Amino acid sequence: MSENTLAIEANNLRKVYHRGSEEIVAVDDISLRVAKGEFISFIGPSGSGKSTLINLLGCLDNATAGSLRVGGEEVLGNGRGMSEAAMTRIRRRVFGYVFQRFYLVPTLTLYENIIMPFAFYRKPGAEADPLAIIRFLGLENRLRHLPGELSGGEMQRVAIARALVNKPEILLADEPTGNLDSRHGEEIGRIFKSLNEKEGMTVLLVTHNPLMAALAQRTITLSDGRIVNP
Amino acid sequence: MKKISIYQIAAKNLLRKRTRSVLTIVGIGLSAWVLASLLGFNRGYDSALKKDIDNMGFQVLLTAKGCPYEAATLMLKGGTGLRYMSEDVIADILNQPEVEGVTPMLMQAVFDPERGESGAIDAYLGVDPATFPPMKAFLKFKQGGWFKDPDKHVAVLGYEAAELEQREVGDKLLIPDKNIELTVVGILERSGTQDDGTIFVPLRMLQKEFGQLGKLTAVGIKVERKADTAALENRLYDLPDVQVVSMAQVKNTIMGLVATAKVMVFSIAVIAILIAMVGVINTILMSVFERFREIGIMKSMGAMPLDVFRMIWTETVVLCLLGGALGLAMAYGLARVTDLLIRRLLPYAPTGSLVLIDGRLMLTTFAVVLGIGLVSGIYPAWRAARVRPLESIRGEGE
Repeated sequence: MSENTLAIEANNLRKVYHRGSEEIVAVDDISLRVAKGEFISFIGPSGSGKSTLINLLGCLDNATAGSLRVGGEEVLGNGRGMSEAAMTRIRRRVFGYVFQRFYLVPTLTLYENIIMPFAFYRKPGAEADPLAIIRFLGLENRLRHLPGELSGGEMQRVAIARALVNKPEILLADEPTGNLDSRHGEEIGRIFKSLNEKEGMTVLLVTHNPLMAALAQRTITLSDGRIVNP
Repeated sequence: MKKISIYQIAAKNLLRKRTRSVLTIVGIGLSAWVLASLLGFNRGYDSALKKDIDNMGFQVLLTAKGCPYEAATLMLKGGTGLRYMSEDVIADILNQPEVEGVTPMLMQAVFDPERGESGAIDAYLGVDPATFPPMKAFLKFKQGGWFKDPDKHVAVLGYEAAELEQREVGDKLLIPDKNIELTVVGILERSGTQDDGTIFVPLRMLQKEFGQLGKLTAVGIKVERKADTAALENRLYDLPDVQVVSMAQVKNTIMGLVATAKVMVFSIAVIAILIAMVGVINTILMSVFERFREIGIMKSMGAMPLDVFRMIWTETVVLCLLGGALGLAMAYGLARVTDLLIRRLLPYAPTGSLVLIDGRLMLTTFAVVLGIGLVSGIYPAWRAARVRPLESIRGEGE
């Protein structure tokens, strides 16, 4: 894979946490290349390091060692990480995040929640798209509703719309269906698949659900902080 | 396309816990009310006292040594203890370059056994019809007018004296013990000064009837506008058997008495402001802790620390501005109530409005409340700005 086709390149990533005198190696010497437009799912038992790995790849956290390049930009090299401000700049330019919990602002309408990222950063060219994204996610009839008036599936769709509104290059989803029933879970899975196939968006998905994981082009299984099926 | 700003998010967030926001606004409002009322009192009291003293018509009062110069003191002494000085003193006073005019006065008191259950003291102030009315030009008549003839048996009643005696112009008034009948020729409107309770009679008539010809109990001295009153007072002290009562001294004495009350009330205001500040910090900090994860998500969306700081700071400032507006409305609307409350606390309260609230004072109070908001918001905003997205999403650091 040439460097222009790579969305993420990680080499020998390692993340160590300290809990009192105990040292916990959450990610242990992982090297990974993610091509642009690729859909990868990460599976593994709880505590296997899936979430920690995509948090490192998604610039939400700094690794203890290793190197990381995102969109051709060096985030971590020779064990030296970026400042929080520099990470924020990469995050808002490259990533959209979807988490298990939706974290919508209850006093803002659905539409205001979706466009909230614009209050902090407006990616050039992203202004015209919110309505297209809203239509794509089937939320156009509920724009004035407050989050408390929506179902779990609708709230997660709002969270996805919020993640997409600034046109990210990579969508990062950590257990996005963990709080949803199977019907809504499938619906969210189809949205990710569609975003990847139709929009060419790179998708990194952490899940416990084998059916969701099967939607991806590549599935990476982790155990004890290591990749077991490279 | 509808847009959204950090300020809109901040303002809407205050609606999340409405009761808490309203209570915080009320707390700030009460502090702003106390602050505005106290600042208003500080100005109003000085102004009312100055007006009271200016309304006396003269800046220096000369009395015979040991003679009470206030009707209330005379009453307390049972109408006794009057001391006299000779009318010749007027010539000495008029020789002083600072003096614009003088008005001689004689006070006489008699016991009226018919008044009340056990009798009371009636005081009569003999004034010179040529010099007294011009000095008291601010006194307005409800009925009639000043007497002109210094020898006539007539009287002008202060507002309260007329109410007490239940007299109108043309009615007769008997000086008890002396059996002298006076005709009421004028009744004053309420002035809010001790003149309201005074019975004014012609000086020479009073001197004759009470056998005090050529004698005075007091001389009011009007000083030239730009004259050095202190220098005049020092020279007047050299006159034999007189005492000098400076209205400036009276004012300073009263201000000294009130200063203690002011310090006490200002301490309460400072405490109220501190409590309001702690309340604001508590409210916003609670709100930050409750939204820890939400703030983390905002940071993952690209919010910079300064964005989060501005958002939280805006919430604090909005609370304080609303509280400030409420407090100022209360201070303005309830100024009369505040006036009554303060009057209960003070040893001496001048007439007129004690609480003066104007635009400048409102702006000052608003600026102070805004300052409280800006300062109170710093710590919660700083805490929120420091939130690391991953830690907050995981629920660490809460």
